[in-house]
Amino acid sequence: MATAILEQFINGAMMGSIYVLMALGMVLIYGVMHVLNFAHGVLFMVGGYLTHLFFFSWTGSYPLAILGSMVALAAIGIVLERLVFRALRDNLRMQIVSSLGLILIIQNGVVQIWGPHALQMRPTTVETLVKFGQLSFTLQHFVIMGVVAAAVAALYLFLTHTRLGTAMRATSQAPEAAVVVGIDPNRVYTLTFMIACALAGLGGALLGPLFIIFPQMGDAPMLKALSAIVIGGMGSVPGAIVGGLGIGIVESLSTLVIPTDYRDTITFGVLILMLLIRPWGIFGVRVRGED
Amino acid sequence: MKLSLSTIVTIVILAFGALAPFIFGGQPYILYVLTLALCYTIPAIGVNILYGYTGLVSLGHMGFAGVGAYTTALLMKDVGLPFVPSLFGGMFAAGFLGFLVGIPCLRLRSHYFIIVTLAVGMILFTLFNNLDGLTGGAEGLPGIPRPGNIEIGSFVLDFRSLTGFYVLTFIIAALTFGLQYILVRSDFGRSLSSLRQDESLAAARGVNVFGHKLAAFVLSTAIAGVGGAMKVLFLRAAAPLSFDMNESINLMMMLILGGAGYLVGPVIGAITFIALPEFLRVAAEMRLIFFGFVLLILARFAPRGICGAAEVAYRKLANKEANVVRYT
Amino acid sequence: MRKLLLTTALAAAFMAPAAHADEETVTIGVVTAQTGPLAAPGKFQMNGFNLAVDEINGNGGFQIGDTTYKLELKVYDTRCNAAEGASAMQRLATVDQVPIVLGELCSPVAAAEAPIAQDFQVPLVVTVPTASSLTEQGNPYFFRVNANSGQLNEALAAFVETIDSEPLSFIAWNNDTGRGGANGMRELLPEDFEFGYIGFFNVGEVDFANHITNIRNEDSKAIMLLMDEEPGALAIRQIRDAGLDAKLIGTLAMGSNRFLDRLNAEYLNGMVQYSSFPPNAPMERIKNFSDTYKEKYGEESHGFAAQSYDGVFVAVEAMKAAGTTTDGAAIRDALAEISVDGVIGTISFDEKGQASPPVYITEWCEDGSRKIIAPEDLAADCGAG
Repeated sequence: MATAILEQFINGAMMGSIYVLMALGMVLIYGVMHVLNFAHGVLFMVGGYLTHLFFFSWTGSYPLAILGSMVALAAIGIVLERLVFRALRDNLRMQIVSSLGLILIIQNGVVQIWGPHALQMRPTTVETLVKFGQLSFTLQHFVIMGVVAAAVAALYLFLTHTRLGTAMRATSQAPEAAVVVGIDPNRVYTLTFMIACALAGLGGALLGPLFIIFPQMGDAPMLKALSAIVIGGMGSVPGAIVGGLGIGIVESLSTLVIPTDYRDTITFGVLILMLLIRPWGIFGVRVRGED
Repeated sequence: MKLSLSTIVTIVILAFGALAPFIFGGQPYILYVLTLALCYTIPAIGVNILYGYTGLVSLGHMGFAGVGAYTTALLMKDVGLPFVPSLFGGMFAAGFLGFLVGIPCLRLRSHYFIIVTLAVGMILFTLFNNLDGLTGGAEGLPGIPRPGNIEIGSFVLDFRSLTGFYVLTFIIAALTFGLQYILVRSDFGRSLSSLRQDESLAAARGVNVFGHKLAAFVLSTAIAGVGGAMKVLFLRAAAPLSFDMNESINLMMMLILGGAGYLVGPVIGAITFIALPEFLRVAAEMRLIFFGFVLLILARFAPRGICGAAEVAYRKLANKEANVVRYT
Repeated sequence: MRKLLLTTALAAAFMAPAAHADEETVTIGVVTAQTGPLAAPGKFQMNGFNLAVDEINGNGGFQIGDTTYKLELKVYDTRCNAAEGASAMQRLATVDQVPIVLGELCSPVAAAEAPIAQDFQVPLVVTVPTASSLTEQGNPYFFRVNANSGQLNEALAAFVETIDSEPLSFIAWNNDTGRGGANGMRELLPEDFEFGYIGFFNVGEVDFANHITNIRNEDSKAIMLLMDEEPGALAIRQIRDAGLDAKLIGTLAMGSNRFLDRLNAEYLNGMVQYSSFPPNAPMERIKNFSDTYKEKYGEESHGFAAQSYDGVFVAVEAMKAAGTTTDGAAIRDALAEISVDGVIGTISFDEKGQASPPVYITEWCEDGSRKIIAPEDLAADCGAG
C-alpha cells in the first residue's frame, strides 16, 4: 500500500502541476479583468498542437518547440483580448457566450486543420524511464514538475519585483486607484492575457508528448483548473497553486478507495460543497456582493 | 392598437405550427425535423425564463432535461404508466431536483452559480452513464414506447405515427409557450426582469430575490424535463450523450441565437439551430465553426440575437425611434 | 413511388422485345460517422461498403429478372449522435426512398434509427454496433451482421477460464464498449472467479496511472483492456513503462498491424485479444478480401470493413431473393431467410435478426505477427492472425 501511495502521489503531483499552470492563467485573467475564460482549455490544446508543429517542421528541438508554442500563444492572447474580451468587460453573460464561441471555433478549427486523429511526439524525456524499486516513471514526469516549479517562481518574482507585475496586482486589487496612479489598464489587460495564454501553451507543450495530442485534451484540465481556482479562491494566486496541486494529488490518491467512474462526481461534488460552505475559497478574500 | 412585431411573429409561428401536418403531410422528413426542433424548443423556453428573463446562466440544463427524460421513459417502459402521468412524473422529478439544487446554490452569485450548474450537469451525466441497471448505462435505453392512441368519436389520433407525434409535441410546446406568455406578462415575470436588470435595486424595492430566483429555476428545470422527455419519446431511445455538457451549451446557444428575453426567441433559435443545418446538411464541424463566429459577433454587436436584430429593423421600418434597451 | 412506376413502365416497355437486358441503378442508404470523435472507425466502415459496391459494379452489377442493377450509396453522417442519426434514417426512408439501409457505428444511435426502419418498412442492417439490447427489441426490420457484445464476451470468457488469469483486472472505457464489456464478463465468468480491480475512464482521458497503481496493488495476473486502438496503445505503453508484467487481454481493435505501428513487438508480445476478423488468417475468403483491401487502400484490412463489405452482399442477396429493389417489406422477409457466405463467415439471421459469425482469439508473437488460438478448428500459427 505504501508503494501505491507513493506512486499515486508522484502521478498526482505531476497532473497537479499541469492544473496549476491552467489555474494560474485563469486566476490571473479573472483577478485582473473579471473574465471567466472557459476557452482556456482549447488554448492549452493549441499549445500541444503547436509544439508538435514546431518540433517536427521547424526546430527539431523540444525546448525550442515549447518556447515557440508559448510565444505563439502569447500572440493569440493579445488578439483575443483586443478583439473579443476588451469590449465585453463587466459584461459577465456575454463573456461566457464569447468564450463558448471561441471553444467552438478553435476546437473544430483544429479538427479541420490537423484532422480528428491524435498526434504523437516522443522526445527523449518521454522515452527515458526513471526507476525506484519496483516503481518506474518517465523522465517527463519530473521535467513537468520542475518546469512548472520554475514557471511559478518566475511568475512570483515578476508579480512582486517588477513594475509591470506591480501594476498587474494593483489593477486587480483596485482598478480605479490604479488608473489614478497612472497605470494604463488596457496595457495591463493585454499583458495579463499574454501571460495566461503562454502558461496554457506551456501546459499543453508539457503534457502533450507524455500522452497524445488531440482536440479534446484541454477539456479536463480546464474543468479541473476551474475547480482549483474556486477551491483556492477566485482571484488568489497562491490559492490557484494550492488548489491545482491539491486537486491533482487528492484525485489521484482517491482512486485507491473510490471507483474511478465516480471520480468526477466526487471532484464536482466537493466543488459544489466548497462553494456552499466557503464560496470565497481557501485563500480568497470575501468581497461584498461577489459571493 | 398597432400589433407589435412579437405578436405578429407569434401568431404566424403558431399558425404555421398548427398547419404544418397539412402542409407537409406528404413530406415526413420535414415534419420529422420540425418535431425535433420542437423537442428543443421546450427546454429552450425553460432556459429563456431562467436566462432571458431572470438573467441566470445555466450550463447544465440538459442534465435536468435528462432527469425528466429518463424518469418519463422508465415510468412508461418499466412501470407501464400511461403517457400523461409519466410526463408529469418526469416534469416533477426534474423540477424537484431543480428545487433541491436551487435552494443552496441560488444564493451564489454571478460566476459561482454558473460553475455550480456546470458541475451539476456533469454529475448528472455521469449518473446517466454509470447507473447501468437503471438507465441502461452508456449503451443507451432502447425500446421506449410512444403514447397510445386517442379516439375522439371516429377520429383516431395515433401518436405512434409521425404526424400524431408532431401534433402531440406541438400541443405541449404551445402549452409551454403559453405558460411563458402568461408568466412574462404577470407581476411575477416583471419582478424576474427587474432582477436581471439590477438585483440590488430590485431587492431594495421589495422583490424577494431568492424566492423569485428559486421559482424561476424550478419552473425552468421542470420545463427542461418535459422537453427531455419529449425528445426521448420521439427518438424512442435514450442515450447519456443526448444530455451532456455540449448539449447544455448548445441549448444556451440556441436561445442566444434566437434572442434571449423574447417570447419567440427560443422557437426561432431552435429552428435556426436544429432545422436549418439539418435541411442544408452542412458538415457539423463547419456548422460549429460558423456558429462560433456567430456567437462572437452576437456577443459584441447584437446581444439580443435574431429577434433583437429584427426588432431594430422593424422599428426603423415603422419609422419609430430605434429605442432598444441594450441587453447585457 | 414515381420512380417505381417509371421503373415498371420502362421494364414493361423493354420486356416486349424480350431478352434485351435493361440496366438500372439501385441506391442503398448508409448511415455512419464521418466526422466527430468516431470518424476514424467510420472510415473503415465506409471502405468496406465502397469495396463491395466497386466489386459488384465492376462485375457488371447484379441481376433480378431481366434487369441488371448497378449499386449506388447514399451516405449520411450521423456523428454518433442519436438525434442526427434518426434524422438521417428518416431522410433515407422518406426523401431518398431507399429500399434498405446499412451502417452505423454507435449502439445508442442504432437504437434511435431502428424504430424508424420499422415505421417505414425499410430494413436496417448494422455492421458494427455491439450492444446486445439492440436485437432484443422485437423489431423485425433490424438486422445485425457482426457479433454482439454477448457473443464476443462468451468467446472471451471461455478463453479466460482456460488460462491462469486470476485475479483479473479491467481498464475499460466508460462508454457502451467498455461498460458493456466489463459488465458482460462479470456475468459470464463463474461465480468463484476472482476479479481484481475494475476501473473505468472517460473517453478523452489519457492518463492511466491511477488504474495501474490499483492493478499493481491487487497483484493481478491479467488485465483486460476494453477500449479502442488509441487509448489501448497508450494504456499498454503506460502499463509496461510502469513495470507491470501482467498478461494483457484486449479487444478486436488491438489485433492489427496498425496497432503494432503505434507500439512495438516488445510491448505486445504475449497479449491476446478477441477478434471478429483476423486479417491474415489462412482462409481463402479472408486472404482475398485482405489483398483487395490492401491494394485499394494501401493499409491492412480491418474487421469493420469486412463486416460492412459483407453487409452490402447481404443486402444484394436479399434483394435478389425478394425479386425487388423497392419493396422494403419483401426484402425484410428475404433477409430473415437468407444465408450468405461472407468474408467473416456464413451470415444468416436468427429470429431476433442477429447473425452468428465466428469469434476468434488471437495472440501476439515475439516477432510482431499474430497467431490464432481459438476457435480450435481454425487455429493457426504465427503470421496468421
